[in-house]
Amino acid sequence: MIFKKVLFHTHFRELALNSLKTILELKKAGLESIILTHIIPRDEVSFVPYGGYLKETENQLKAEARMRFEDWQKIIAEHGIKSRIRIEVGAPNAEILSIAEEEGVDLIVIGRKKRTLVEKVYVGSHIMDILRRSPVPVLMSKYMVQFEWENEQLTRTNDHIFDRPMLATDWSQPSENALQRMSALKGLAKTILVVHVIDAKLSKGMSRDRLSEIEKESKLRLKNYCRKIEKSGMRAEYHLSAGKTVQELVRLSRDHKASMIVMGKTGKDWFSEYWLGGVSHQIAELSELPALLIP
Amino acid sequence: MRFPKTMAVLLFLLCFFFWPAPMIAVTHASDTADTGHAPENHAAHDSTEASAHGSGHANLGEVLPLWSCIPFACMLLSIALLPLLLPNFWHHHFGKVSAFWAAVLGVPFLWIFKGGAVYEILHIILVDYVPFIILLWSLYTVSGGILLRGSLRGTPVVNTIILIIGALLASWMGTTGAAMLLIRPFLRANNYRKNRTFMVVFFIFLVANVGGSLTPLGDPPLFLGYLHGVTFFWTFKIMPHMLLVSVLLLIIYFFLDTYHYRKESASVPSEEAKEALKIEGTYNFLFLGGVVGSVLMSGMVDLGEINILGIHRAVQDWLRDGILVLLGIASLIATPIKLREDNEFTWFPIIEVAYLFIGIFITMIPCLLILKAGTHGELAFLINIVEKPYHYFWVTGALSSFLDNAPTYLTFFNTALGSFYSGLTEAQAVPLLMTENAIYLKAISAGAVFFGACSYIGNAPNFMVRSIAEETGTPMPSFFGYIIKYSLIYLVPTFAIVSLIFF
Repeated sequence: MIFKKVLFHTHFRELALNSLKTILELKKAGLESIILTHIIPRDEVSFVPYGGYLKETENQLKAEARMRFEDWQKIIAEHGIKSRIRIEVGAPNAEILSIAEEEGVDLIVIGRKKRTLVEKVYVGSHIMDILRRSPVPVLMSKYMVQFEWENEQLTRTNDHIFDRPMLATDWSQPSENALQRMSALKGLAKTILVVHVIDAKLSKGMSRDRLSEIEKESKLRLKNYCRKIEKSGMRAEYHLSAGKTVQELVRLSRDHKASMIVMGKTGKDWFSEYWLGGVSHQIAELSELPALLIP
Repeated sequence: MRFPKTMAVLLFLLCFFFWPAPMIAVTHASDTADTGHAPENHAAHDSTEASAHGSGHANLGEVLPLWSCIPFACMLLSIALLPLLLPNFWHHHFGKVSAFWAAVLGVPFLWIFKGGAVYEILHIILVDYVPFIILLWSLYTVSGGILLRGSLRGTPVVNTIILIIGALLASWMGTTGAAMLLIRPFLRANNYRKNRTFMVVFFIFLVANVGGSLTPLGDPPLFLGYLHGVTFFWTFKIMPHMLLVSVLLLIIYFFLDTYHYRKESASVPSEEAKEALKIEGTYNFLFLGGVVGSVLMSGMVDLGEINILGIHRAVQDWLRDGILVLLGIASLIATPIKLREDNEFTWFPIIEVAYLFIGIFITMIPCLLILKAGTHGELAFLINIVEKPYHYFWVTGALSSFLDNAPTYLTFFNTALGSFYSGLTEAQAVPLLMTENAIYLKAISAGAVFFGACSYIGNAPNFMVRSIAEETGTPMPSFFGYIIKYSLIYLVPTFAIVSLIFF
């Protein structure tokens, strides 16, 4: 289960190349080729009110994208990785998912754009849509992120994202899938952190005995996860916490210096998923770390 | 992002117009009471008073100068010329252009006519613009959830059948809905053919225009007529005209397609994977039925009136608008996002219509008021010139070719009202126009709908079809190429026959 073929989608926003460079490290873990993808939103060139289709603009945008990609291809080639360019016009999410399927990629990498106020309130942004619908793992790359911690504005650069991945598990099947996928990082990750949070909603009103029983059980399971990781030749350490899941996961990632967060996609029903977002989607949105979501 | 900025401009305009309404109306009323003169204020006062009693607003139309129609002309000229001359600028700033012309008319209009102007602006927004956009939105949303899959072979017979189906659907799901449903399968079916341009042009003629002439759902001008009192099934009276145009165009199309098919020695590629035809999202036909039902309901029941911001509107009209919004939302919830993506559904075209039409509706206020004033207004010369039914057919048609056909329809609808029933309220005049002078209304309706096909800017779906055809690699004629090579050759002679027979 290694990431041999990766789709890297970009809008050519600032630091996009740096984001690309961070995934070149995957070469050590078996990465063979990258599909450089740029989608020109259809509305940019089509449906000119009472006019037609801006063919010249489309050609110009395609030429600009191609030129940038060709420059990037040199850097990719220096790392001994093959690459191809896909530039299409269409609905970005649908096109990304369709290209991923056509090319048979193992991983989709997408950047996170600066969020508008509306997107901050409404979790269902375009990127969330891809996270929700992709049948293959999606890495939400965040090269440079500004975030608030203890009333301080901080800036973080995520350049060695595979050093200390933090696998957050809720013991679900997607979490098991994520665990199996961790073997793809062999030769790349120095230590894998395995964490679980006993959610406050679950422990509320629970007897002390029951709680310690759950704690014991959780530790056993975490140890079991670590054992599996160590069996595949990587180092692992576990941490258990309790409280509000999303906030605790963000805190754990900071306390233990995680370099990225890996999660199985939480399987909520359509309505909650769309309007509220699962834990995995909230983490992807709120954490300053890149998030790798495994279906 | 383009959307919020333009939206902000639009909101600013709306707030600008809405906010001072009660204050100005009150101030104005007391001013008039105090002074008892000042002709402009008097006219405005009469207008406001008249509104409360549901009568027309002829007085404001009598005092408005002809040059107050300049922003309307500029708005329409912007739509006609800017997509040709400055396509990139237009694509990204059309909302600002619309807001600009609305402000050019709105600010001085409010300054001079105060309460009367507030009333007229609110009236056109609440009575015309809001229901117009809601209907278009719901039809667009619901029809965008219906997807036709499968491989078709684009032979002359199959293509003609697609055009017939499209023309039949257009009156029930709107020309935009029918065109969007069928244009991609139509293009896919013919992707192996060399000459596809004429096919798309005839698609625009029949599906995006002529086919929509039977019901108020078909084409925006007819819905505006419906909003102004023309009954739902009255438009069936132009079925003979529609059938004649459709049959003539279909015969021409069939011969043209057969000629090219043989000339190209076209044959369907044998390696093409065959996929059975199927329609997905069929439950959206139920929502479509709901749209038809709610529009019908609003014309059949009388639940009284409601006064919102001084504008009297029937309860059943608000109810219809609410149901249409719910049907659109239900379609959005019921239809999988993947299906809409496969349909290449995007909000852009409907947002564009919403932005442009707020400008059109606001700038056209003086024009409509002057026409309603009949021979007492400054457009008396036009009313005197346009006398015979064929005048109405050709003048409405000629202008609908180059201006959007919805405002053009409303302009000549009011010309006819002003001409025959000056002094009567719209509620009194429209039934008389539908019966005593039905031929004039037929001429206006047929002219507005049919001639919308004469250019890319005659009707909203025309440019959407053109855009999709060009995107998928079908070369389309230029703006003037379309008129010279197709409209003048195929449409104008067909319309001449209609004119000779019916008008």
